Amino acid sequence: MKKDFKFYFAQFSSKCVYGLIKFVKLFKKSLNGSHYPGKIALKFDKDFLGKIEKPEKIICVTGTNGKTTTANMIIDALEKNGFEVLNNKLGSNIQAGIACALSTGATITGKTKYDIAVFEVDERSSIKVYPYIEPTIILCTNLFRDSMKRNAHPEFILDIINQGLEGNTTTKFVLNADDLISCQIAPENKNKVYFGMDALLTDTTECHNIVNDFANCPKCGSKLRYNYLKYHHIGNAFCPNCDFESPEAKYLGTNFDFNKMKYSMIETLKDGKKQTEYNLITDSVVNIYNQIATTACLKEFGLSDIEIKKAFDDYKLVESRYKEEDYNGLTIKTMLAKGQNAVACSRVFDYIKTDSGNKAVMLNLDDFYDAKTSSENICWLYDTDYELLNDPSIKQICIAGKRRMDHYMRCLIAGIPKEKITVCEYEEEEPALLNFNKIDKVFVLYDVYTIPMAMKVKEGIKEQVDIILEKLEKNHVKISGNNDKDLTSEETKK
Amino acid sequence: MVEEDLKIEVLFPETANLYGDTHNMVYLKQCLPKAEFIETGLADEPYFVENDVNMIYMGSMKESTQERVIEKLSKYRSRIIELIKKNVVFLMTGNAMEVFEKYIETDDGTQIKALNIFDLYAKRTMMNRYHEMQIGEFKEKLDIVGYKASFSMSYGDNSEGYFMKVVRGRGINDECEFEGIRQNNFFGTYYIGPLLVLNPLFTKYLIKLLGIKGKKLAHEETAIEAYELKLNEFSDPKREG
Repeated sequence: MKKDFKFYFAQFSSKCVYGLIKFVKLFKKSLNGSHYPGKIALKFDKDFLGKIEKPEKIICVTGTNGKTTTANMIIDALEKNGFEVLNNKLGSNIQAGIACALSTGATITGKTKYDIAVFEVDERSSIKVYPYIEPTIILCTNLFRDSMKRNAHPEFILDIINQGLEGNTTTKFVLNADDLISCQIAPENKNKVYFGMDALLTDTTECHNIVNDFANCPKCGSKLRYNYLKYHHIGNAFCPNCDFESPEAKYLGTNFDFNKMKYSMIETLKDGKKQTEYNLITDSVVNIYNQIATTACLKEFGLSDIEIKKAFDDYKLVESRYKEEDYNGLTIKTMLAKGQNAVACSRVFDYIKTDSGNKAVMLNLDDFYDAKTSSENICWLYDTDYELLNDPSIKQICIAGKRRMDHYMRCLIAGIPKEKITVCEYEEEEPALLNFNKIDKVFVLYDVYTIPMAMKVKEGIKEQVDIILEKLEKNHVKISGNNDKDLTSEETKK
Repeated sequence: MVEEDLKIEVLFPETANLYGDTHNMVYLKQCLPKAEFIETGLADEPYFVENDVNMIYMGSMKESTQERVIEKLSKYRSRIIELIKKNVVFLMTGNAMEVFEKYIETDDGTQIKALNIFDLYAKRTMMNRYHEMQIGEFKEKLDIVGYKASFSMSYGDNSEGYFMKVVRGRGINDECEFEGIRQNNFFGTYYIGPLLVLNPLFTKYLIKLLGIKGKKLAHEETAIEAYELKLNEFSDPKREG
C-alpha cells in the first residue's frame, strides 16, 4: 500500500500523541495509554498498518495461553544476542497496539528504524492485523477455550485466525504438534514446522480434565487415542480407525531433568537428528512448552544453538506472573491464574497439586472490572478443574471476593471437604484466617488486574508469620525463665 | 417414582459441553445419586429411541457440532415429539434449544434445516456475540438467574410457550420479552452454564417434576445463599448487564 496524505497525517498525529503521553508520564507515572497513539493513527487512516514501512523480519506470537511469556522470551533472547527489536511488550496486543509500536518505531515519514520486530498478537485481532502484515514467522503456542464472552470456543478463534491469513503464502508457521487445534492454522500453507514435548512420567493416555476440545478424529469422527496426553487435548494423538495422527515435531523437547534443570532438544534435520542440551528455566509443563516454542522459533529465525543457550543461561520468568519467596520457613508463591480462562486456571491448580509439601491456596480470581461495575459470568468455573484442588496435600483453601459463594459452591461440587474451606468477604482478611500449623507453602492466586491486591495479601501473610514468631519467642522466654525448660515445640503444636 | 428408577439421558456430552453446561448433570447426579445417568455419544444411537427415559439433557455446542446434532436427531423427530407429549422432561441449554426449531439462518443467508418441532427459527451472526446476565420469572416467586453468551437469537412467537418472562435482559431476541421455549415438560433456554447449580429452587422444581418429592439438594444451603446473593446483585440496575 502506498503512503498518502492521510497516512502522513495519521503518523504525525500518532507521534504527537505519543510525545504528549511521554510528557504527561513524567508527572503521572500511572498513566495508561499504551495503545492510544496507534488508535489515533488508525482513526485517521484505517489502512495505516498496510502503509507504514515495516521491519524486514517480523515474528508474530499468538495463541490462547503463553503468548506473552513466549514473546517476551523471544525478545529477550534476540536482545541478548545483540539485536535491536521493535516490540509491543509494554503496549497492547490488539491492532492499535501493533500500530502504536510500528508508528513509534518509525520516523515521522513512516520509515522504520528497526530491522526486526516481535509482536504479540491477540487471536481475535488476527483478522485486522495479518491482511496488512505478512510476518516472516507466526508462532502459535496453542488454542484453548478462553473467555466465553469474547472467544466462545477454539473453533471460532481458529476460523478468525484463518480468515486473517487468507491468501498468505510467505509466512513460516511454527506450530505446536501436541495441539491438534492450532495445527489447523493456515491449512493451505505448507511452510510449517512443529514443536512438541516428549512423554513425561506424569502423562496419561486418557483425558482427565473437564475440557477436551479435540476428542474426535476430524477425518472419520472416531474417538482419538493418545500415545501420551499431558492435559486437556495436549498430547500425541492418533486415530484408531484411519491414518490421522499428530504431525511429527521437528523440534522435540526430551530428557527433562528437573534436578539439574536441563533438557534436550532433538532437531530433525534433512540428514538425520541432532540433540542439543539446554537449561530448563522452569519446572511447570506449560512454561516448558513456551520455552520449547521459543527455541523452535529462534532456530527457524536463524539463531545458533550457542546463541539460544546464551539466552536461557540466567533467564527468569517475569515476576508479575510467578514469584516464589521463602519467609522464615514458609514458602509463599504468588501466581497469575488468568480468571475467566478455565484451562489457564486448571494448569495452575495442577501445578499446585503436584508441588511438594503441604499447601494452602488463596483463590482470588475475581475479575477486577466485573467486580466493580457488573457481575462476572461464572460459568467458566465449571470448565475449570477444581477437582485438582481436592488433594490431601492441600490443607486449606481460602476464598474471598465478590464471587466467593460461587467459588465455594464449585469447591463443594468438586468434593473438597467443607472443613478445608475458609470464606471471607475481602481478600485482605485471608492471611489472618490461615492455619499455619498444617502448611509448608501458601499459593496466592490472582487475576491479571489484581496484582496489587495479591501483593497486599502476601504482605499480610508475612505479618501473620511475624506475629506467630513473636508469640513463640515470648512464650519461649517466659517458659524458659520460669521453668528453665524449653517447651517451644509444645507451644508450636498448640 | 423412586429415585432408583429414574433414567436420565445426557446427549452427546463429549461435544455438547461448552460454557460449563456439563455441570448441570454433574450437579443433578450429586442431588440424585441413585438415579441412572446414561451418556450417549454422537456416534451412538440415543437410548430414548428404544427405551423410556424420565429426562433428556443436552448442552451448548460449537456451530459445526450443532449441524451434526441436527442431522443425527432428525431421524428420531417423531419419537422426540412423542416423548414431549408423554411429559418427559427435556432440558436444552444454550444453542441446544435451536436444534428443535425450524431452521438456523447463517451469516450468508443459508438456512440449515432443524428438527422443526417448534415454530421458531434462529439467526446466527458470527461476528456478534450477545452476552448478558439475566433474571427471568419462571413462575410466581421463582426467579431464575443466569447468563447468556451466543452468536444467535431466535425469532417467532413464543408467547404461548416460553420458559421465562424476562425481568432483566432480553428474551429470545432483542424485541422479545419471553425467554426460551416451554411445551409440557420441554424446557429450552439460551441460558448457558450450570443453570441447575445457580438456581436451586428451579432444580427442586425439576426434581419434583421427575416424581421425587421432598428431596434435599446437594450443598443446598450454600447453593441457596449463592443464589440469593446473585439475585440481589442482578436486581441492582446500577450493575451493568
